[in-house]
Amino acid sequence: MEASRKWVQTFGGMILLFSECLSLTFQKKIRWQQVVHQIFQVGVSSLGMTITAGLFVGAIMALQIDVQLKDFGAEAFLGGLSTSTTLRNVGPVLIAFLLSGKVGAYTSAELGTMEVTEQLNAIRLLGANPVEYIILPRIWAVVISSFLLLIVGLMVTIFGGVIFAEFIGVNALSYVQNIPRIVTGWSLVLSVVKSFVFGVLIAVISCYKGYHARGGSVGVGVAVQSCSVTNLMLIILFDFLLSMAASTLEDIFRVGYL
Amino acid sequence: MKFPKFQNRWRFRREETFNQMYLLGVQSVPIIVVSLGFVGLMMILELAFHMRLVLKHDALVPAFSAVLMVRELGPVITCLLLTSRIGAGIAAEIGSMKVTEQIDALKLLSIDPVDYLVIPRWLGSVFSACTLTVISIAVALWGGAFLATQKLGTSPGEYFNTVFFFVKFPDVLRCLIKAFVFGTLIPLIAAYHGFKCDLGSAAVGEAATQAVVRSSLAIIIADFLLTYLFYAV
Repeated sequence: MEASRKWVQTFGGMILLFSECLSLTFQKKIRWQQVVHQIFQVGVSSLGMTITAGLFVGAIMALQIDVQLKDFGAEAFLGGLSTSTTLRNVGPVLIAFLLSGKVGAYTSAELGTMEVTEQLNAIRLLGANPVEYIILPRIWAVVISSFLLLIVGLMVTIFGGVIFAEFIGVNALSYVQNIPRIVTGWSLVLSVVKSFVFGVLIAVISCYKGYHARGGSVGVGVAVQSCSVTNLMLIILFDFLLSMAASTLEDIFRVGYL
Repeated sequence: MKFPKFQNRWRFRREETFNQMYLLGVQSVPIIVVSLGFVGLMMILELAFHMRLVLKHDALVPAFSAVLMVRELGPVITCLLLTSRIGAGIAAEIGSMKVTEQIDALKLLSIDPVDYLVIPRWLGSVFSACTLTVISIAVALWGGAFLATQKLGTSPGEYFNTVFFFVKFPDVLRCLIKAFVFGTLIPLIAAYHGFKCDLGSAAVGEAATQAVVRSSLAIIIADFLLTYLFYAV
């Protein structure tokens, strides 16, 4: 009972924080210089990790689908099937997991340290709104940089799959030729939508958790931990919801099929 | 640096280890059950789309999703969730002990901090990774059975028949080996970052972040190596 009340409270707080940020954005109070600075600090430092993760995720899925298709005798579909599975669900989820560790935990630790060392209270004391000055640029920076990093990571997964296919003795040319036969424009739209939703989730959750950190250096650790747990659970939940919506649309309008 | 001498390691701190098993394993059960249930549902949806696209029918969906679940997504997603749940916690706990000089106090009492702090967490994490992987795969298969009966029209008996036909015993064994390796990586990397933590409250957050990032990346890379070793060599 206590746990469910806490979850409802967290959800409500996150929605309120996000709506406040949206209304501040529409009042044109956003400072783009800060946003660019944050994107540089958060995004560029995570690029190497995203590329590494993307290469390995692509290679894992190519290997795994190859082994399974051999069991069913359908190796001809390897390139398309592994790329499509990676782009549509496994890739966005796994790369968003790693980004929620890197980008989300970094943001919540930074905001949590600010809150614990009473820097946010100092801003309130000066008569300024900390949501406008500190949270708003960070939320948009994290949304933009997570979205772009996810897209980069997904592109790298295709590349990792090709490299690994050549490595285990599948002709890279036939692998690549197979990709457009199964990966449709609809699948690409779905993976871009998923990337954007995961970027918004990482941004809102990490800013909320950092903003509400309490109680010294232990509080910062607790904030980082609960930020990454909430991130992962909501990423899985929204991945399922988006897949469900996509599947319903596919059944009704017959989109996505060749 | 002195290389540690081999000691009789069959003694371990039983009380502390069971405590960690409870904290790391039992308390993670609700999160992992809910998340992996959704993953099981999602796999059926996605593979139904792909199988209809490629093979024009969806009879192989339960088998394909269950094999992918047991071999790949079950251990990886469970252990990534476990990382975010316990990795940051271990790093922050040991880091704040370092900041408040409790580790120096332990050394002063001639208690080895590795023996006192890391070994119980390692045993607890390995135990919880292996058991939670089994629980999560069971939950994901039940979720898959539910959605397969609703959406594809296979009966539950048919579903579990195909699953048990295609998932072989070596797959389960390899899945448990994966869980063991991932469960070892999490506390080692987290404890390393905790012990390396600088003084000050900003450093604890930094250590927790680094622990989560590095151990998730290590899990992905170890998963690639193990999958390659098991299925391609």
